[in-house]
Amino acid sequence: MSAPATTPPATQTRLRVDAINTYYGDSHVLRDVSLHIGAGETVALLGRNGVGKTTTLKSIVGWQKPRSGSVTLDDEELVGCDMMSIARKGISLVPEERRIFTNLTVAENLKLAQVTARKPGWTLEHVYEKFPRLRERLTHKGDEISGGEKQMLAIARALLQDVKVLLLDEPTEGLAPLIVREVENVIREIKAAGITTLLVEQNLYSALAVADRCYIIDQGEIKFEGTPDQVRTDEDLRRRYLHV
Amino acid sequence: MEAFFQALLGGLVLGLIYIAIAVGLTIIFGTLRLVNFAHGAFYAIGAYVGLVIAQHIGIGWAFIAAPVAVALFAILLDRLVLRSFYDKEPTSQLLVTFGIALVVEESLRLIFGATTQQYAMPAALQGSVTLGPITYPAYRLLFAGGVILMLVLVWLFIEKTNYGLIVRAGIRDRVMVQLLGGNIRLASSIVFALGAAIAGLVGAAATPIYGIDPATGFAFLVPSFVVVVVGGLGSFWGAVLGGLLIGELQSLTNLAYAPASSVIIYLCMALVLLFRPQGLLGESEVIRQS
Amino acid sequence: MTSTSTEAPGVSKGGSLLASDVRFAVLTAVGIALFPFLLHPFGGYSTLATQIAIVSIASIGFNLLLGYAGTLSYGHAMFYGGGGYIAAILMLRAMPQHPNLWLAVIGATLATAVLAILIGALTVRLYGIYFALLTLAFAQMVYFIVEQAKDWTNGDDGLQSLPNALLPLGAWNLDLTTPLPSLALGPFGNLNELRLWYVFAGICLLLVLLLARTLTRSQFGEILGAIRENEQRSTLIGFNAPAYRLAAFAISGALTGLAGALRALFDGSVPIDSIGIDRSGSFVIYTVVGGVQTLFGPVAGTAVIMFLENVLSAKTPAWRLIEGLIFVGVIVFLPRGLSTVLKQQRDKNPRAIFVRSLRPSNEEPDPLLKPSGEGRRSGPMSIIETFKLGKLFGHFAAVRDVDFRVDPGELRAVIGPNGAGKTTFFNLLSGTIAPTSGTMNYKGRDVSRLSGTARVHLGIAKAFQTASLYPDQTVRQNCRLAALARVQGPFRLQVFRRSTRLDEVDAIAERAMGRLDLLGVADVRAGDLSHGDKKRLDIAIALATQPQILLLDEPVAGMSKDEARKTESLIRKLSTEMTVLVIEHDMEMVMGISDSITVLHQGTILATGTPAEIQANPRVQEAYLGGHSEAELAHG
Repeated sequence: MSAPATTPPATQTRLRVDAINTYYGDSHVLRDVSLHIGAGETVALLGRNGVGKTTTLKSIVGWQKPRSGSVTLDDEELVGCDMMSIARKGISLVPEERRIFTNLTVAENLKLAQVTARKPGWTLEHVYEKFPRLRERLTHKGDEISGGEKQMLAIARALLQDVKVLLLDEPTEGLAPLIVREVENVIREIKAAGITTLLVEQNLYSALAVADRCYIIDQGEIKFEGTPDQVRTDEDLRRRYLHV
Repeated sequence: MEAFFQALLGGLVLGLIYIAIAVGLTIIFGTLRLVNFAHGAFYAIGAYVGLVIAQHIGIGWAFIAAPVAVALFAILLDRLVLRSFYDKEPTSQLLVTFGIALVVEESLRLIFGATTQQYAMPAALQGSVTLGPITYPAYRLLFAGGVILMLVLVWLFIEKTNYGLIVRAGIRDRVMVQLLGGNIRLASSIVFALGAAIAGLVGAAATPIYGIDPATGFAFLVPSFVVVVVGGLGSFWGAVLGGLLIGELQSLTNLAYAPASSVIIYLCMALVLLFRPQGLLGESEVIRQS
Repeated sequence: MTSTSTEAPGVSKGGSLLASDVRFAVLTAVGIALFPFLLHPFGGYSTLATQIAIVSIASIGFNLLLGYAGTLSYGHAMFYGGGGYIAAILMLRAMPQHPNLWLAVIGATLATAVLAILIGALTVRLYGIYFALLTLAFAQMVYFIVEQAKDWTNGDDGLQSLPNALLPLGAWNLDLTTPLPSLALGPFGNLNELRLWYVFAGICLLLVLLLARTLTRSQFGEILGAIRENEQRSTLIGFNAPAYRLAAFAISGALTGLAGALRALFDGSVPIDSIGIDRSGSFVIYTVVGGVQTLFGPVAGTAVIMFLENVLSAKTPAWRLIEGLIFVGVIVFLPRGLSTVLKQQRDKNPRAIFVRSLRPSNEEPDPLLKPSGEGRRSGPMSIIETFKLGKLFGHFAAVRDVDFRVDPGELRAVIGPNGAGKTTFFNLLSGTIAPTSGTMNYKGRDVSRLSGTARVHLGIAKAFQTASLYPDQTVRQNCRLAALARVQGPFRLQVFRRSTRLDEVDAIAERAMGRLDLLGVADVRAGDLSHGDKKRLDIAIALATQPQILLLDEPVAGMSKDEARKTESLIRKLSTEMTVLVIEHDMEMVMGISDSITVLHQGTILATGTPAEIQANPRVQEAYLGGHSEAELAHG
């Protein structure tokens, strides 16, 4: 793995979030959040619980519509589109709760992703190669597999489609340490495959290990943009925005 | 003994009608979260369309025209009225669909009169078939076979086709289907039209057996709701199990003590609701959402 | 608790209200008296007028359930027909020689009330379609019984030719079939077209309207409305929601039974249809067309539909279709019924009239907020203690084997990463969900099996992660409801008195608002508050139950920095008077205000200690940073 220390946005910007404001009812959750991700980049969005990380992802995919601001994919405006058409444009969110269809088998979960894809992405064979555990679980129902397997399945669903930007929401959350390593390896594979990724994490180690760049969000505002090394070395930064 | 077998077969036929209506109710509830009291109207419209076509064009066409007409009516109804009630509380849904049922029933009464009408089944099917100890009308057996075939096809559609996959996924999590780029709205419309078409087809096919009057739709709807509740709202196999149970219960009670045949199903439903409110095969989460 | 001296002395409670009651009664009586003559130009419907008056009583009863308790019954014919049959049987069997109308009517009403209590006890825990179908099922069973008991009920033919009942009234024995005196009224016919029956039915309707008005404005109606608006909140301020719904069901059934009995005696017969499914449906139509949640809506709906039935049925066979179209039209275009057209200025918040303003409370120390007994930080006894408490959702252990202890007066923060089980743990403490293993003690007493409602009355109150309020009520009324639950207990059938007569309730509400700095918005609709005020109101509601321990689930989530700091200092003040448990992600606040902190991780307790201890605890950092130590991170 030889990611450059920093990737300036010299490459073409794939996803641009520009000054979005998002509310839940009266609650002003995102305040002028802006960020951008270049093609092929892996960007981490860091922050404590409840500071707006998940809402940022939801705003991008049209799940929670921003009241102002803009989100563009390859210069195409996404604000105002519904969830389905944003997904079909190639933005794939792997949500926090994984949202496996528990009434479907693993195989059916994978099949669904292929059926709903606008264009196919990875082949099933490729997925099984990267996630050998899923192959063993094909006939199990979605609620009969472990948390780690659910996470693998959720990511695999996204990869079966032609994904232009992958949004991963806390992929290591709630997993046992050993499984966390496995998921981390998967994210490295995704990075190696050149897939543009926005990674939301509380798990600093996982995030810093794979990210090209980082944003830190707190109280609904972006407080920092920089390299993983800056976050690593700046203890004050961590103490203010990330630690207990 | 023969009477018992007759009643058993009669219960099967009745139960199959209930199942066909209940399956529509239950898949519509599952995907749209809509409690549809107007579903009996689909049965009645199908029956009358079948009646008119059978009398003027031919009985074969009746079985094609009825489901198509009812599906079109359902799509229209969905677009014009029901869509704005998806997000409302179940009581509003009950009221508006109850009102629609009322309007359809009275429209049919105006057009066709209040008397029970029937059309003759094809001559070839008017005879009886002897099955071991009992003889049974051929049309009823064919009807039962046809409904079973239709249910198998519906099951295959839901379980084995791509659209069925989207529908099943949507029953569990509409948001995630959309996040994967699935067209949940189209799938929902298909389900609504399909559920309606099943009721319409069964209405047309059952008319040579039971006849049709404007109130028949509602008369079949209420036991079908009982079937759905007994089996578990949202569950396909629950509807099948509940339908067989209710149909046989009603038919056998009719044999044992006829006056109790209508009340027995309510007793059955009350017991289920009091002791297992999610239904025999239902999941407990459904009851909270409704 | 006696009323405080700050109370404005001149407010005569109920004095002016009484005048308005009299005015209401007089105007309504005049309306009822004129009604039959309005029908006259359409063909003299004296019989119809009486029937409308009688059936309106049933619709009013039905609306108490649909409009005020918020549940749709599809079986009210069992009470209507039941009342009719019981009255008829009493007339035919119990007093064939001296038929007494009083006995028949009162007997039938009481009997249907008992029937409603029995059936309600089995049904009120269900909602929506399930409630509708279960009431339908019971109605069908009653129908079956009536149809089968041929000796008593004459089966499908119904009971005919009831004796003409006499109404003993003092020295008289009135025959209600007597026509009124002759008096020509020009285009409105002659007074003698009406029989004494209309006077009697009209008086009954008037009394029922007065009763319904009193009831919906009473403490009982107020609480019923609160439960309809937000059942979750209502149970967690201490109201026994099923008991209130059962009471509403019983009253509704009894009124419907009264109407059924009157109708049977007026018609002199009871048809089997009076107990059938179409009858149940007719009450739905009358009430919805007229307007649910309104006093006169059910009367108007009954009058309009019954009038149309009589007029149109002679003119066009399409009358039932027209009826159905009106019904659907009303639901789609006028969800609150026809009466909203007549009365656009309908009070958006009928309960707001109960709210009297009080003078702002002065800054004296507050005896109400100090619950009896318990001293702070003194006793060795814990206030809450759990032993191996656990909750499984399917196979997923959201909380497992939690041994947790809080001392009286402590301010304890519960923190942990997303999905650590914090909210589930709070729900176990507040009794919203039942544990699958372990026990919980409150002041040394095992409360594991107690409902959330019961725990509120013991002194455990909760504010929700997403503020759970009564959005259509004022801030003051929100707090008053909680105070009312504290003062009146989980259930009290107070149907004649308004809660405004309870000074104590006002005082508690006032103080709770004061504590959370909400007096400035006391008369604002809760739904119109800012996010921060909503969150603080939620805490004020919990406070108005006068808790000894307050559970706050993310009290400052979504607040701006300033609001958060303000709320933080309010919570800090509260904690000097009671035990406070708080889930929070705002670490600045957690570290600033907590006496001690418990860290939950994957459903278990990872650590408990002072803020400094927790900050220094490597395992806690690990949990937050994802299974890696700080050192590892630095070399990552």
